[in-house]
This record gives sequence, C-alpha cells and structure tokens, in this order.
Amino acid sequence: MQVEKFYYDNKTVKLFAYATIVWGVVGMLAGLLISVQIYLPAANFGLPITTFGRVRPVHTNAVIFAFVGNGIFMGVYYSLQRLCKARMLNDTLSKIHFWGWQLIIVSAAVTLLAGYTTGKEYAELEWPIDIAITLIWVLFGINMFGTILKRRESHLYVAIWFYIATWVTVAMLHIVNSFEIPFSFMKSYSWYAGVQDALVQWWYGHNAVAFFLTTPYLGIMYYFLPKAANRPVYSYRLSIIHFWALIFIYIWAGPHHLLYTALPDWAQSLGTVFSIMLIAPSWGGMLNGLFTLRGAWDKVREDPILKFMVVAITCYGMATFEGPMLSLKNVNAISHFTDWTIAHVHVGALGWNGFLTFAILYWIIPKIFNTPLYSKKLATTHFWIGTLGIVLYAIPMYWAGFTQAMMWKQFTPEGTLQFQFLETVTHIIPLYVTRSLGGLLYLAGVFVMVYNIIKTVKAGSLLANEAAEAPALPKEPVTHGKQYWHRWIEARPVQMLVLSLVAVAIGGILELVPTFLIKSNIPTIASVKPYTPLELHGRDIYVKEGCYLCHSQMVRPFRDEVARYGEYSKAGEFIYDHPFQWGSKRTGPDLARIGGKYPDSWHYNHMLEPQSMSPGSIMPSYAWMLDDAIDTALTPAKIRAMQTLGVPYPKGFDKLANADLMAQANRIRINLESDKIKTGANKEIIALIAYLQRVGTDIKVQPKPLAEK
Amino acid sequence: MQKFTTSPVTPKCFHCGEDCNEEVLHAYDKDFCCGGCQMVFEILNRNGMCDYYSISTNPGTSRKIKVREDKFSFLDDAKICSSLVVFSNDSQTHISFYTPQMHCSSCLWLLENLHRLEPGVISSKVNFIKKEVDIVFDQRVTSLRKVAELLTSIGYEPYISFSDLGAKKTTVDVSKIYKLGVAGFCFANIMLMSFPEYLGIDSKEANLLYLFRYANLFLSLPVFFYSASEFYTSAWKSLKHRFLNIDAPIVVAVWVTFARSVYEILSGTGGGYFDSMSGIVFFMLAGRVLQEKTYRQLSFERDYTAYFPIAVTKINNEQPQTVALPDIQLNDTLLIHNEELIPADGIITRGKALIDYSFVTGESLPVMKEMGEIVYAGGKQTGANIEILVIKEVAQSYLTKLWNRKAETNKHDEERSFVHLLSRYFTIILFSIAAFTATWWFFTNASLMWNAVTAVLIVACPCALLLSNTFTNANILRRLGRNHLYLRNAQVIEDLAAADCIVFDKTGTLTTGRYQDMVYEGEPLSIHQKHAIGALAAQSNHPLSKAIAAWAGNTNGQMISGFTETPGKGIEGIVAGDLIALGSAFFITQKRTAGNDTSVVFVSIEEKVYGHFKFQNHYRDAIPELLQRLAKQYPLAVISGDNAGEQKYLRQLLGYEAILLFNQQPADKLEAIRHLQAQGKKVMMIGDGLNDAGALQQADIGIAISENNNNFTPASDAILAASQLPKLDRFIQLSKANKKVVLAAFVISVLYNLVGITFAVQGVLSPMIAAILMPCSSISILFITYGMSNYFGHRFRLK
Amino acid sequence: MSVIIILLIASISVAALFLAAFIWSVKNGQYEDEVAPAVRILFDDATLVSAQKTNLSTEDTGGQKK
Repeated sequence: MQVEKFYYDNKTVKLFAYATIVWGVVGMLAGLLISVQIYLPAANFGLPITTFGRVRPVHTNAVIFAFVGNGIFMGVYYSLQRLCKARMLNDTLSKIHFWGWQLIIVSAAVTLLAGYTTGKEYAELEWPIDIAITLIWVLFGINMFGTILKRRESHLYVAIWFYIATWVTVAMLHIVNSFEIPFSFMKSYSWYAGVQDALVQWWYGHNAVAFFLTTPYLGIMYYFLPKAANRPVYSYRLSIIHFWALIFIYIWAGPHHLLYTALPDWAQSLGTVFSIMLIAPSWGGMLNGLFTLRGAWDKVREDPILKFMVVAITCYGMATFEGPMLSLKNVNAISHFTDWTIAHVHVGALGWNGFLTFAILYWIIPKIFNTPLYSKKLATTHFWIGTLGIVLYAIPMYWAGFTQAMMWKQFTPEGTLQFQFLETVTHIIPLYVTRSLGGLLYLAGVFVMVYNIIKTVKAGSLLANEAAEAPALPKEPVTHGKQYWHRWIEARPVQMLVLSLVAVAIGGILELVPTFLIKSNIPTIASVKPYTPLELHGRDIYVKEGCYLCHSQMVRPFRDEVARYGEYSKAGEFIYDHPFQWGSKRTGPDLARIGGKYPDSWHYNHMLEPQSMSPGSIMPSYAWMLDDAIDTALTPAKIRAMQTLGVPYPKGFDKLANADLMAQANRIRINLESDKIKTGANKEIIALIAYLQRVGTDIKVQPKPLAEK
Repeated sequence: MQKFTTSPVTPKCFHCGEDCNEEVLHAYDKDFCCGGCQMVFEILNRNGMCDYYSISTNPGTSRKIKVREDKFSFLDDAKICSSLVVFSNDSQTHISFYTPQMHCSSCLWLLENLHRLEPGVISSKVNFIKKEVDIVFDQRVTSLRKVAELLTSIGYEPYISFSDLGAKKTTVDVSKIYKLGVAGFCFANIMLMSFPEYLGIDSKEANLLYLFRYANLFLSLPVFFYSASEFYTSAWKSLKHRFLNIDAPIVVAVWVTFARSVYEILSGTGGGYFDSMSGIVFFMLAGRVLQEKTYRQLSFERDYTAYFPIAVTKINNEQPQTVALPDIQLNDTLLIHNEELIPADGIITRGKALIDYSFVTGESLPVMKEMGEIVYAGGKQTGANIEILVIKEVAQSYLTKLWNRKAETNKHDEERSFVHLLSRYFTIILFSIAAFTATWWFFTNASLMWNAVTAVLIVACPCALLLSNTFTNANILRRLGRNHLYLRNAQVIEDLAAADCIVFDKTGTLTTGRYQDMVYEGEPLSIHQKHAIGALAAQSNHPLSKAIAAWAGNTNGQMISGFTETPGKGIEGIVAGDLIALGSAFFITQKRTAGNDTSVVFVSIEEKVYGHFKFQNHYRDAIPELLQRLAKQYPLAVISGDNAGEQKYLRQLLGYEAILLFNQQPADKLEAIRHLQAQGKKVMMIGDGLNDAGALQQADIGIAISENNNNFTPASDAILAASQLPKLDRFIQLSKANKKVVLAAFVISVLYNLVGITFAVQGVLSPMIAAILMPCSSISILFITYGMSNYFGHRFRLK
Repeated sequence: MSVIIILLIASISVAALFLAAFIWSVKNGQYEDEVAPAVRILFDDATLVSAQKTNLSTEDTGGQKK
C-alpha cells in the first residue's frame, strides 16, 4: 500500500526519437549537398536557397540543434524519468517542448534558406527565433527540475548532474551571445562589435560545443552505457570527479578559436591554458566509459549497440585530445582556417554524437515498443558502413587541411609566394570528393538504420505508458538523523532553479552594459570610419549570402598571409562591425584587404561568373544579385540601429541616408558603365561592390597606424 | 572436516552456491544445500522476485546454521526498540540495520524491494559501503521484530549488538570537503583572473586589470578565512602542546602571502599572489581529504559490546523474559541458547555446557562444563540450552576487564610522524634565514627589505613536504586497501615500517580456527573396526568424536550397547560385541603421560590399545613460507592461548631464538607485549580474537585478522583479510618505501627552496616569480611521489 | 575588451551556482555510498516485468502481494 504505482511517459521519448532520425537525415543531406558544391559549384542549381552560403548554416544548425538536440531530449526524457523514478512533471509541458522545438527548427531552416542570419556561426538564427528558443528552453527546464523535485529516488545519479549543467549553461550562453538590436521583423545587428563580438561569439561557440554536444551526451553515456552493457560504470567516484572538474574548467576555453587574431594576446593565451587543462577531465570521462566495458569485450563483439558506443567514446577521446592540441598556438597557426578544423569537428559530430545517438536509438526503440530489434545484422552493417564513412571523411580532411596550410606558407627561393590561393584549392579537390564519399556512406548507414527501426516499430506496439512502481521518498530523516534532511532535498533543486534564473537575469541586467561597451569602442585608429549606408546594405548582403563561411576577414601576422593579403588586421579596424565577419574557414581567400584590389567591373563579372575572372574557381555564381534590388526602405532603421549601438553617424543622418546611398550607388553604376556594364543603381550587386571596395581600406588612408589594439 | 568432504560431483546450492554436503534438497528442479536456502527461494519465488537469482548467480548466503525462532523477541521490548530506532512518528518508523551478509547487486536489489515482501515496509534503502539497510516501516502494520525476522528469513539476519544500545551513529565529517570545494572554486577563478597579468595584459586596459585584482582579493577571502582554517587549528593545537608541527610554517607562508598580496593590491603596486595561495591551500586540502579516506565499512574501535547480544533471556520464576544486557544483575538466572554468547560470568545451574572459547582464549577445542562449574563471559554455548546463575555483572566480567586497559595506551598520531620532526628543523632554519635577510637588507637597502623577506617566506613554504607526505600516504593506503589491508589512518603506515618485532597469535591467525587435520597413528584398523569406532563416536557430540565419526564414514545399522560418556575424558560402549573406548591417554591407558595432550584421542578395542587419532591445527596456506621469510629479518614470537601441541612444529618453523608461549590468558599476552616493549622493541601484534584484544591495543601496531566480510575484529590499528596474511612482509616493505618516497620528495623540494631562497635573499627574485615557482614545484612533487609510490607498489607485486 | 566583464559575471555566477550545488550534494550525503547508485540504475524496469512473469508461473500469488 505504501508503494506508489506510476507510469513512464514513452510517447514523448518516441516523438523525440523520430525527430532525431528525421532531422538527422535532413542535416546530413544538407551537408552532403554542400560538400558536393565545393568541387561542383553548379550543384547550387543557380538558386540562392540551395547555395553553399545559405545551406551550410542549415547543415550545422540541423545537425547540432535538430539532430543532436532532439537526441539529447530523447535521452533525457527516457533516462531522467527512470533515474528519478517519476513521470515527467507535466505531459502538456512535454508536448509543448517537443512541438515548440520542432517549430523552431522548421522556422530556422526556412529563415536561414531565405537568408535571414545574424552572421554568427552556430548562432545564426534571428532574434524572434532566439526568443522562441529561450522560452522553450525555460519550459524544458521547468519540466526537468519539476521531475527532479518529485523524484522517488533520493540520490541524483551523475547523469542528472550533467543534464542540469547543460540546461543552466546553455541558457546563459544563449542569452549572453544573443544580445542583438532588431531593426526589422527578421533582422538585427549584434550588440557587440568587432573584437568584442568575436570574443563573445567564440566564448559561446566553444561552449555550445562543450555544453550542447558534450555534457548532455556524457550524461547520456553514463546512463545508457551501463544499461547496454548491463554492468555498473567502472568507477562511480571518477564519474563524479569528472563532472565537477569539467564544470569548473570548460567555460573558459572559448578564446582558443581566436588565436593570432586581433584578440589581445592575454585573452588568447587564456583560452589555450584552459583548453589544455580540459584534457584531464575529458579523458577521465573517456577512460571511465571504456573501462566500464573491460571484461565485457565478448559482449561488444556480438552487440552492435556496444560497438557504436565504443567507437563513440573513442572518438570523444580523440576529439578532446586533439582540441587542446589545436589550441596550441603553433599548431593552430597551421590548422586554423583549413579543413583540419572540419575534420576535427566531424570526428566529434559523426563519431561521438552520431554514433552514441544511433546506439541509444537502437536501445530505446525496442524497449519502448516492447519488441526485439528487427535485425541485429543490419545494425552491425550500419556500424561498419558508418565507421568506414567516418574514416573516409576524417582522413582526407586532415590531409587536405595540412597540405593546404603547407602550400599557403610555401615560399619560392626568391621569397615570393609559391602558390596562388586557387592552386592550393584545386590541389585538394580529390580529397573533397573522397570526403563526400565518406559522408555518403555515413548517410547510407543512417538509411539502413531507418529501415531497421521502421521494421522494429512495425513489429512492436508502443508502450506509451510504461508501468513502474517505487516507494515514495521518506519524508523524515533516514540516516544520520538530520531532522531537516527532507527540506534539503526539496528546497535545493528549487533554489538551483531560482539561482539559475538569477544567472539568466544577470544576463538581462547586462543589457544595460552596452553603454559602457560602446565607450570602449572609441576609435583607436583615427582613420577608421563608419560604413556608408550603401556599404551597410552591401555588408548585410555579404552576411545574408553567408560569404563569411568561405572567406575570412582576418589577416594573421604571418609572413605568408601579409605577403598574400596585405597588412595584418588590427583590433581597431572592426569597431563598427556588427557583427564581426572574421570567419573561421578559408575555402576562398581572405577578404580583409579586398578593398580597392580589383576594379568594380571585376567584382561584377566575378559575381556573375566567377570562373570567367579566375579560371577553375570553385565559387558559385551569384547571378541573382544582378537582378535583385536592395530594400532602401530599411536604410533609416539600419542607421538608427547602428546609432543606438554607438556608431557615430551625425544626428538625423537616418533621414539623409538614402540620398547618400543613391549618390554612391550612381557613382558605381557610372563606373561600371565605363566598362560597358549596364545595371540599375539599386541592384544588390552595387551595394556589395561598394562594401567590398571599402573592406580594409580605412587604415590604408594613413601610411602607418599609430595606435593598434 | 573439509578434508573428507569435497568430492567433485557435489551439486552446488542454487541459493548460496555452496556445496551440498550433508544433504541435497531437490525442489523446483533446483538443488539446495539446506532447508533454509530452499525456504528463501520459496519466499522470493512466491512473490515473483526471482530476479534476485538472475542479477547475479547464487547470490544467497548459506542458511545451514538455523536462526532460533524467538531470537528477535527482544525487539518487542519497547525500551530496546526505542534505543534502536532512528526516528519514529505515529505513521512510520525509521530503523537502520547492519546486515554483514550483504555482498552483491542481488542483495542490493532484494533489500531495496522489501516492500514487496512485507506490506508494512514503506521503503528500504541500502548503503552498500556501510553494509547498512535503512528501513522505513509502518508500525501499525508490522513491527520492528517482524522486520528483523523478515530480513532473517531471506538470509540477511541483522546484526544487533550490545553496542547499538548507545545508538550513536558516527557521521563522517564533511567540513573538509566543503573547504576543498570552496578552495577549488576560488582557486579556479582566481587563476583565471590572474593569467591576464602574467600573460601581459595591455597597459591600456588598466581598468580591467584593477577589476581582476580586486575580484581576486574578494575571491581569496573565503580561502584565507574558511578553507585555510584547517591548518590554523591544527597548527594552534600543536603549538599548545609546545610542539611545532608542519602546519605552523604553512600557516606563516599563507599569512605572509595573503598580507603581502592585500598590501600590493590596495597600494596598487602589484597583482598579489592569491593564485598561488589559494592553489596551495587547495592542493594541501586535497591531500588531506585523500589521506583521510576512511573505510567506513570497517570499525577499528570495536569493544566487547559489539560482540555481546543486545538482550538475553532471563528466567524469572520459571518464566523466560527478555532483558537488555545492562539490566542483568547478580544472581539472575539466564537462559543461554545454542550458538549464543555468554554475556556474564556465571555458574551453570542446568544443562550440560560445551563452550567454545576459541574466540576468547584461543583454545581451539570447546570445553565441557558440568553443572556447578563456572563459565566465563564471551564463551559461546554449542549444543542444548543451558541456564546460568550470574555471579559477576557484565561490566565486571573477566573478559570485559581486558578493554578497560585501553586507557593506558592512547597514541596521539599527529605528533609522532617524522614529517613533523623534519618540518621543525625546516622552520627554524627558514626563520633564521628570513631574519638574516631582514637584518642584511635593513642595513644595505631598507626599501627592499620587505620584498626580500616576504619572498623568502613565500618561496620556502614547506607545502611540498606536506603535499608529498599526504599524497604518498593516500596512494599507499589505497594500494594496501586494494590488497585488503585496511589501516586506521596514515600514521599506521609509519608504524608498520617502524616495527622491529612481530608477535603472532596462533589459533585463528596462523591457523584457521575452525578446521582440524586428523591423522590416525597405530595398528591398522579393518573396515569393520573403523565403522564400529565411527558408530561409537557418533554417539557423542564432542567435536573430536564428531570428527572421528565423519572420518569413519557410513556408520548406520550398528548396534551399540552400554554407551557411557565421561565428560572431558572419553567414551566407551559395546559395538557388535566389541568393547570400544575412545578418550584421553589417561582414560584409555590408565597411565599418566607427561603433558596430557588434549588434541590426541586414544582408541582401544577390547582393552587393547590400538593407537590414537592426532588432531593438528590447520595452518593457513603459505603461512610457513611467510614465517620463514620473516624469521630472517625480524625476531618473531607466537603467543597462543592454546595448548603446546604445536610447539615442535612452530619451533622448527621459526628457529630457536623465537619466543613461543602457550596456554596464555589474554592478560598474559598483554604482559608479554609489554615485556617486549620494555626491551625497547617496537612490537607488531597480529591476532584475531578477543583474547588478543588487550595485546593488540598494547602493541605499537596491532593488526587484526578478519576471516570473512562481516569483520568482527577487535579494536586494532589495521584490519587484514586472512587470505592476504602471506603478503605481510611485502606490506611492510611497501610501508618502508613510503618513508623513502616522502624523504626523496622532501629533498627535492628543499633543493627547489634553496634555489629559490638564494635568489630571494639577494632580492633579485621578484615575489611574482616566487609565487609561480611555488605551485610549480609543489605539483612536480606530486607527480614524483605518485610515480615513485606506484613504482614500489609494482615492485612488491601489490596491485 | 570590457565585454569580458559580462562573460566574467555570467561565468562566475554560474560557477558559484554549481559550487552551491556541490555543497548541497555533499551535505545531503549524495556521495556517501559510491557503490549502490551505480548498481541501482541497472535494476529499475526489471522488477515489474518479472512480477508479471511469475504471476503466471506460480499458482499462489494472492495472499502476500499487495
């Protein structure tokens, strides 16, 4: 009579599982498409919405927030209920959470393809969606903490700690990084400018990896690995230490994404130091995972689920070792901006996240459908195809990255650069092809899984509400007669929730901070001036088409880069850049000093047909820019937004802005006409040219910049 | 008697996995070794809880020894109840039982599903480390006794002893952990905000710089005032004992660092060294916490109360009634059941006692006691119930007196460690150097004086010594623990190394208390005679008779007439027409031989002495080798409560200078140890029973041997699993290595310090460098100690 | 680089949050037993399934079961 009967909610788990699979396929397809475009530019079908610059964010967002995101929720909703011996707090919340999240994903996909992006990697979604995410995340939090509160098991298993950490930190990161000022329904500018924006962005960017792709999955690993192997984790104490150590170090590794950039040295080194420190806890976790299977390798041999997990954990180990290595300045000098980074992240994504997700799917689906997996053999096939896929993906990319970096830095005996940028690209195209092959294989494996799971689902029937029973938590002291024992239990998670909200609130308060942020933006290089309205439009097009995804705007202080692109970048140059556009990958050359390098007509033709200007170029054609017109109605709003961000346009400039814009546009139009190119002054191409011709020219005005940084 | 039993084909019990020797119960197409095991299975099966058997194989514990029906009747006694219960209100009661049988995941599962066996149970939660199960039950539905009996019925008989009456739960002190956590948090963030300065933050960002500095100052407060208090208190304690322990110089260093940092920051002259201060505090706390990892499942402090039942049955005008132990008075009549401990000295007033003193005195054989004879507390009755008249109160009993000696030998660990002696010199030197530097600079360039002095004090912080010590200890403790040698605390490692004389108890330590090897010497016996002897022996329940009967094998269908038993002497009777007698030499041969050796039984058939059965203690495996190895390095001694039967054998094992004492009363053992110590020896005593308790206490280091996982060992400095005894010499070697490691590490750290100081005294060493140097040196020390101790671990083949 | 102040405040407040959580978990005795929790998670769903199973297998389940 004391025992409480209750039911686990498997329906939500099922929904999230399905979503995981669907979005996984979508995200991977997107990835495959853009990987092909790299050596087959025509594969963009001449449409904006299928062009690399727009599909790439869809790929990253779909994989991270849709595939892995739903994977996380699947794992959490399944394990949390069982770890707490309680149904999720509220079914409606679960429902809203699920559908809300899917809605966000869909709208994200649509808006990104439509070209609405903040231009900050992994945070591309525009402000309305950012708000939606915050809301749904809070609902999820309520649902999770509520469940923890009404749990029937006094001990919080280590996995739950990882989930809590995920929720709190992601909330904070998202809010801090998403400060932006909207100037239209779907568009906004980042609060921060240039260097500061970069720092915040990569502080976020790194932790998005840390707390969205790692901590929740570690929690999931700590639950599902022991379950699948049916043996307790190797060392529970180690897992606890693992958690607390990770929590206190991870936050600060961010800046290592900005080594050799215009970010102050001390901030860069800070990132390095903390990244190195991360090896310890990360490997603690990995070894704990692998040792759990010691003595059970015979099981691994026949159980595909364990196979997936072993590879996943190994990949985690590799990635977490490589990461700190990459954050060493001298390694980073080579790896950064190349495909090495791509390889690194995909070892993590395909191996750690992907494979662990598959393992969990293979484990959960039969459980909740109360039937054995349709075919172990198929699962094993999936495993081998997938593993082969990862290998075929990673190795060529490492190779490509290293080769290209070497070629970039190659000088002739006479001291001139040995290779044109384009040569370094064409040289590694075969590797790009192999990469696509790897991706294709991996995707094929996923389809095998889809078939296998459909068959399984057909065979079984959903155990929507799984019966369970457990005694309620005793309300009075059990051990060491602490009278207030239960009040601790109940009060603390609430308190944590409150505190976490406080942390979020702090984020809100900080919206007042920008005032002093802007103060710190006082021009340190006298000659650096705000963008003209036309250039601003051009810049927005640059962001919209995702140029930053292939072109960096950051010349690092290396001999080869200075020789290739020109004067290295100074922090002071970017104070009007909302958002910064430093980029993280050079599929095309750096554009930090593109201004004035070529005539307007060159840019015009290059956009129309890149290969005509630089034969063999892999850049797609952006013909539509020649026809589409810019929306000058938005100009005043843009100017006003910039003014609130402290960009020193004269008072009331927003009124005059369009006049100024047309004047400049006409100058360019005429200039083009002189090269026998006829086009309207209001076309996107004009604005883009205006911007490109401006980029990086300010400091050329004066021979030597007096003050830097 | 296992000698005769183990045949390869014996089926294993489905419940407990033991061989089914005597009988094989076959039910549910499964084998059971005894009714008890089968019953447990039936209970679980009826309640659909057979997962118990699927989670791990043969998870049960053997139930061969029956538990008396009304054993837990005392739990009906309200007074006893209330003393055991943790918490109770009108609807529920919380009780925490110690169930030593708990050993596997099945146990865990079953014990946490009690509510499915007994509706009255609200919830049950296991603490596997403590082997405790916390049960919440509704006293309106069931009762404490019922719960206890439920546990018993499924094979987890709760162990309730006299000591529970006090019901003072020892809770672990977690304050150190908090301090560690706080220190860790502050350290991480201080480090974070100190780096910009080290990494050369731009002068243009001065505002940031100041922000960082003040944030550091703020964060360092909890470390200085809370986390570091650990060391303040310990240093203060030792100072009060007019003694300078290692924490004193540590405290000085911490204070100096803090003071100087505060000064620098407030005066804006520098960034301070809060990072190194908090770092050091953090690491040193970590070391302490690791080193003080205690084995909560073991108790090093057991006293006799832990062995005595919490209550006994008192005969009150013919009516049995339960009384708590303290309530026993003189002239009470107590009813002692089979397998029950005698709680107080008394005179037998009814029944025949066969009392097993092995645990108390080390005598390997139970002794017969007739009505009117005195039995001593601590003996265990085997056989039928007896009644005794109490002649001494529990606290006054012969055995309990042993424990009252305790007071004499209190060892305060803190002070004894050589580390403190080292640190004393260290500190003196350090201060003199500081003083010298001060004076020197005062006269040369006073402005640099403080700079130099503080630098000296900071860089010379002996934290490296403390770190190496604590971390080495922690690591060694861990290794020993993995080999089932559990030390009370880190100090014991040093004692282990320091001991220069090893004393063993015999019964239960060198030998396995229970089993005896039996050999027959004399004229060969025909099968017929053998069976006849067996049949006769089977009549008596004296253990030796039992042994002989078992040896003789099948003895059914033998007609016996005129059976007589002369307690303590022998038995005789006519089997198949022959008069057969078994018994002591005197009983059989009527000759008074010299030492009447109780471990020899003579046999005569028709007045003709055929020969005798010789009983020998069964030595643990590999013990002879161990003794021979040790004899080379240490003076050894065996002090046994048992008779001298083994003298010859031991003598040849241990050599001639070894001390061999037999028939030793517990008090004698204690005296023997004292005597050895009087000769300036550091004595290591290894024993198992209560009879060794006094000696274990008296010895410089007492190691208690524990036979099985429910560790009923007397108070001691260390507890060693019997199976691991052969490794003793390697354990000692490892603990000796411990000292080497610490010293080595210390030398290195001193070198660090010397280098540091030489620069510091010249004032060329900027305190910042000093502050960086300090943690670096400390951490390198950690790696050295860890590596070295592991190396020795491998070298002595201790995993 | 004053933006780092924001990041500092945010990070440290979160870190402090977890410090509180840590202290709570120790105080609550979450880590008193490092064996049971790891084993316990392996059981959860086993119980009821078996209950159903044996309800069929053994004839008398009534009496003792609630």
